[in-house]
Amino acid sequence: MKSVGSNVRSLTIAIAIAFLMTSVGVGYWTMVASADLGSDPFNPRLVSAIRDRPRGKIIEADGTVLAESVKTADGYTRRYTDRSLAQIVGYASFKYGASGIEAAYADSLVGQDPADPLSTWRARYLNEREEPGSVVLTIVSKVQKAALDALAATGKKGAIIALDPRTGAILASVSLPNYDATLVSDPATEDVAWQQVNGDQGKPLIDRARSGLYPPGSTFKTITGAAALESGVNPDTKVRVDDPWQADKSWGTYFVRSSSQAHGDYTMADAYRLSENIYFAKIGLQIGGPKIAEYASRFGIGAAPKCDIPAARGQLSNTGTLDRPTLVADTSYGQGELLVSPLQMALAVAAIGRGGIMPTPHYAQEVRDSAGNIIRTIAPGASGQVVNPATAAKIRDYLVGAVEGPGAFAFGAKIAGVHVAGKTGTAENPAGPPHGWFVGFAPAESPTVAVAVIIENAGQGGVDAAPLGGKVMQAALAR
Amino acid sequence: MEITFAVLLWGVRIAFLFLLYLFLIRAFGALTRSMRTESAAERSLGTLIVERSPARTPRVGERLALRASNTMGRDAGNDIPLPDEAASARHAKLEVRDGEWWIEDLGSTNGTLVNGVRIERPERVRNGDEIAIGRVALRLER
Amino acid sequence: MTVLLRRGDELRLLVWVTLIAITGSVAVAATEAAGFAYSQLAIPVAFICVAVLLHVFLATRGIRGDQLLLPMAAVLTAIGLVLVQRLASSLLLQQLTWTLIAAGAFVGTILIPKDLTTLARFKWTWALLGVALLISPLLPVIGKTVNGARIWVGVGPANFEPWEAVKIMMVIFFAAYLEEYREVIARPRRIGPIPIPPAPYLLPIIVMWAIAMVVVIFERDLGASLLFLGIFLALLYLATGEAFYTLIGAVLVVVGGFVLYHTFGHVQVRVDTWLRPFAEDLRFDAGYQIVQGLFALGNGGLFGAGLGNGMPDRIPVVWSDFVFNAFAEETGFAGAIALLALYLLFVYRGMLIAVRAPTPFLQLLAGGLSFIVAFQTLVIVGGNARLIPLTGVTLPFVAYGGSSLVTNWMLVALLIRVSDITARTRGTP
Repeated sequence: MKSVGSNVRSLTIAIAIAFLMTSVGVGYWTMVASADLGSDPFNPRLVSAIRDRPRGKIIEADGTVLAESVKTADGYTRRYTDRSLAQIVGYASFKYGASGIEAAYADSLVGQDPADPLSTWRARYLNEREEPGSVVLTIVSKVQKAALDALAATGKKGAIIALDPRTGAILASVSLPNYDATLVSDPATEDVAWQQVNGDQGKPLIDRARSGLYPPGSTFKTITGAAALESGVNPDTKVRVDDPWQADKSWGTYFVRSSSQAHGDYTMADAYRLSENIYFAKIGLQIGGPKIAEYASRFGIGAAPKCDIPAARGQLSNTGTLDRPTLVADTSYGQGELLVSPLQMALAVAAIGRGGIMPTPHYAQEVRDSAGNIIRTIAPGASGQVVNPATAAKIRDYLVGAVEGPGAFAFGAKIAGVHVAGKTGTAENPAGPPHGWFVGFAPAESPTVAVAVIIENAGQGGVDAAPLGGKVMQAALAR
Repeated sequence: MEITFAVLLWGVRIAFLFLLYLFLIRAFGALTRSMRTESAAERSLGTLIVERSPARTPRVGERLALRASNTMGRDAGNDIPLPDEAASARHAKLEVRDGEWWIEDLGSTNGTLVNGVRIERPERVRNGDEIAIGRVALRLER
Repeated sequence: MTVLLRRGDELRLLVWVTLIAITGSVAVAATEAAGFAYSQLAIPVAFICVAVLLHVFLATRGIRGDQLLLPMAAVLTAIGLVLVQRLASSLLLQQLTWTLIAAGAFVGTILIPKDLTTLARFKWTWALLGVALLISPLLPVIGKTVNGARIWVGVGPANFEPWEAVKIMMVIFFAAYLEEYREVIARPRRIGPIPIPPAPYLLPIIVMWAIAMVVVIFERDLGASLLFLGIFLALLYLATGEAFYTLIGAVLVVVGGFVLYHTFGHVQVRVDTWLRPFAEDLRFDAGYQIVQGLFALGNGGLFGAGLGNGMPDRIPVVWSDFVFNAFAEETGFAGAIALLALYLLFVYRGMLIAVRAPTPFLQLLAGGLSFIVAFQTLVIVGGNARLIPLTGVTLPFVAYGGSSLVTNWMLVALLIRVSDITARTRGTP
């Protein structure tokens, strides 16, 4: 029989081991996971300068205040003026954290912008906080209003995003339904509002413009066409189109359907103008899955755009490759397993308009201090040459044809006195009526605006979306 | 908040952590010191030297280390096992009380002898005394 | 003078405790007041006077043996006062009062009973008293429900948790019982390597333990039931050395936990918030506390955000359930490890006292008491760091809580007494 003493020794060793394991656990949270925890949008430390101190303003380029701190009896609370920008500007609640610009520029809004390390040092060690300045967004109010009016008039859910292809600055972004961020940020109403906003079936918290994922439908043909041109396909070669079509008997009951039950010979220009699925399916199979995957990746499909607020990745297909001929065919005309966001499509089409150079999107343009001096300018520049200028020019011409040519589906996007390039899309939606897309840019020769529109469950698909695109681009051209 | 105050305040915070570790080190030092004194005190308490042993263990001449309290007997679970048939399973207890050794018979069949005399109640054992348990004889050395 | 020098190590360590108490309190108070004032020294100095008085008391009574436990308990209590000051300053006066009561209980336990073996003789009294105390919160007049758990008893303005005292009574009872029947239980018949425990001897303690468990489950106190189970298994192991019993016990815990998970909603909630606290349906609701606790840990880094500088007050009920995270946020990983090391050293010292104790009862007593401190610390820090689900136990000495402080100081007094007996028996200082 072992003595109590030796049992005590064994127990002590077990206890020591348990303490060691606990220390490792504590070490994990304090040092390894520390960065992730620190940037979690719900970490109250991120939004600490909400209640006790005024937080910086968020303003539009023309000076309109979008978000500011107002003093109440219990401290400061955030007030937002433009509900249509709720998903961009975000909310800032002591309890529920922050989102959008409020989260991404949290440091700048408390006077600790990274471009000014001294202020961060002073805040952390001396507890001395600067008077916060402001974050200036790239949003242009006229364009924003046009987008909001256009989308709201449809009465449907959806998104519109407009950006400047030369700089990547986001000119307008609307996502419906939206919500009142003031209610979510105000401690008096935040709990009720949070429950409501989270429980809402329409999911107003999601910014459909940058995080909503949909099949692109025919708008993807811009990418397929570019891929084909750079793979040596001759756009003037006529391709026979007979509806319905399948490559061979191995496809079984699966056929590619033309949207206009076409029978005829099509050039690429015709295929764009009439949005012919079978044409694109055929050339897609001709150049092969890997080529399509390569160009999709070049255009940013399946990768999150490097934006100052987080945007969705989307996907080329469930596996990331196009391994079956039917999938290649479907993807070529914009269905298959593709999922893209309006932001991604706007960027893709902006690249076409800018001779193949894709801009880097950003929602903010500068950070100012409390006196109004600019501390930091946000101008990330281009993200790369996606296709060569000749290809871009050719696709641009086809896209102009898709708006202005005879029988063009995107006729609703025409603007008097300007050449508009664009493409409609009708994305099949298994849960109901198809979504309607429109992507485009203007003026076509040297665009100053690129736009992407999506209307969920639109009655006539892309044809409904095109006029919205036109209105937004018109407002942007007038800025 | 002026700089000097902030620096001093941070100094106090760092001092707190520093002192915590210093305390730990000092406490650990005090612990090891007291452990050493305790076991030194224990070692100086004494050893038993085996004078007679009919069985193979313990060997004659072997020096047995002593703890503060030692049970002796035939059973292997004793502090000092004496596998002799004439010894009871739990024969006797040899322990220190306030610095002196005392032996107590635990109701054994054949009794415990100190210097040849069978003990009726707990008896003191001094340096050089011989304890007999069964056919084993042990001498206390301090 | 020579009276004080009898316990010189203890006095020297108390000097360090003084410095720690002062720097901690001043750091916290000066940050809050944005300036230093001599009044900020009042609390630490007051506490140190109490600790020194206890030291003088031990020295004049001629208590020998261990000199580490008093300073260690004092430094932990001092850290507790600093944290209460930081996190719940309205409760500071209460905590100070309880500290005084705890000091009194310490003195009382040193003096009474005259002989610790009487504790062993009255083991059944302790058992029954323990059960009575456990049941008391369920009684109509004095029992109170707080946060869904019916574990409190209110007498006039004071509230206390009886189970804190019961855990000590449990140790005394088990230690006494197991000493008596240890040989029978520890030498079971075996089939191969598996021991078959002698049921009639194990039955009484299993019954006692089962009563405690049932009562506590009725009171919805998971932490206490875990603790009682741990104490039971630990003492069984200490007495018999049969790792197999511990294994069976662990299996029973898992099985029991499973059953509890499916029968009791509040158990399910605890386990769910442990497994996925960041999930959307939990993070603002049941999981809010642990999520905020983890944010606090993350903000700590290596050296902490600085005493008085972090944001631990975002954690609900931080002063009793999550003090460890608050401490780790402000003193960092370095501070957290120092705190854990303090506990480990305390437990190690207690276990050493157990090894050297002259009788099995005293060995089991000291071992069991040290185990309480170790297990309680591991369980709460484990929950705080999301290693195990959160339970209701609190960090000994440091967390806010009167009954806990008083019983823990009584625990220290008992350990010091065991060490004193050992020293007298062996003639060591």
